[in-house]
Amino acid sequence: MTTIEELVETNAISRIQVEMHPRDQELRLLYGTPDFIDWLGRLAKGAEPERRLGEATAAEQVDDLFNTFLSGQPLVYMKQFRSIRAEKNAVWELKTPDVRIFGWFLRKDCFVAVFGNWADVIKDHDLYRGYRISIRRMRREWGVDENLCVQGVMPGDVLSL
Amino acid sequence: MTSFHFDIGERARHAGRFIGRVRGELLRALSERKSERGLSQEALARKLDTKRSLINRQLSGESNLTLRSLADLAWAMDLEISFELKKPAVNAGQNQPIQNQTMTTSTVRHGQIRYINGAAKPAAVHATPANSELGQPKKSA
Repeated sequence: MTTIEELVETNAISRIQVEMHPRDQELRLLYGTPDFIDWLGRLAKGAEPERRLGEATAAEQVDDLFNTFLSGQPLVYMKQFRSIRAEKNAVWELKTPDVRIFGWFLRKDCFVAVFGNWADVIKDHDLYRGYRISIRRMRREWGVDENLCVQGVMPGDVLSL
Repeated sequence: MTSFHFDIGERARHAGRFIGRVRGELLRALSERKSERGLSQEALARKLDTKRSLINRQLSGESNLTLRSLADLAWAMDLEISFELKKPAVNAGQNQPIQNQTMTTSTVRHGQIRYINGAAKPAAVHATPANSELGQPKKSA
């Protein structure tokens, strides 16, 4: 049975952290695949969508989202996170005004990010289905569908609210 | 690589998290108002004589908020805005030094140790230290 530790040891996923306020501590866990980490690196260097909607830059939006997630603050269902489809072993989406991040919950309060992209690109090209199928395939190949995937699709199934 | 630190710099972090906090507060407030009074985005839009889609975009961060629109949204939800600028806590969660007060202990008389606080009222001398926060972590803002 594959464990989170094994996924980290084999570099299949890496822990993602942000600078936190001294009064905060990590109450949730965030991981990313190597491709997602590469995307995140480009974002940190200033990558922006062609037409940004949010007042904050894309990197600022993601930093705020990750900080909110990691510090255990409430996330607003549908506005900041949602499941792509109500199904067993659902694929989940973390959202900011301009960015969409796809992945799944290994455990409650423990998310692994697989794909990141601009919201307008995803909507224009209807990439939801493709990302969902890719993530499901990846989980099957890793053999983690059953033991490292939250089954429920209610907000309280994946996050301590 | 076992961990990746997503660092966008202090200034950007400060701005992004402030913007996020304002929107989060608006969303939470509307959610509470919805459960308390059944206040919907539609009702907010009617009260502000604007379109529901604009309210939705403002709340989701897809449209910029001005100070006026923020004030209008708060008014429409029958809420007050609390705004404050303050110095950051140096080390949040730590005890902080007592300022402008010198405290000494005296064992001149027999009995329990007395705390003599120069800035305290005489009545406080034999009781608990005048500064009741002594020995307790001071809450950070």
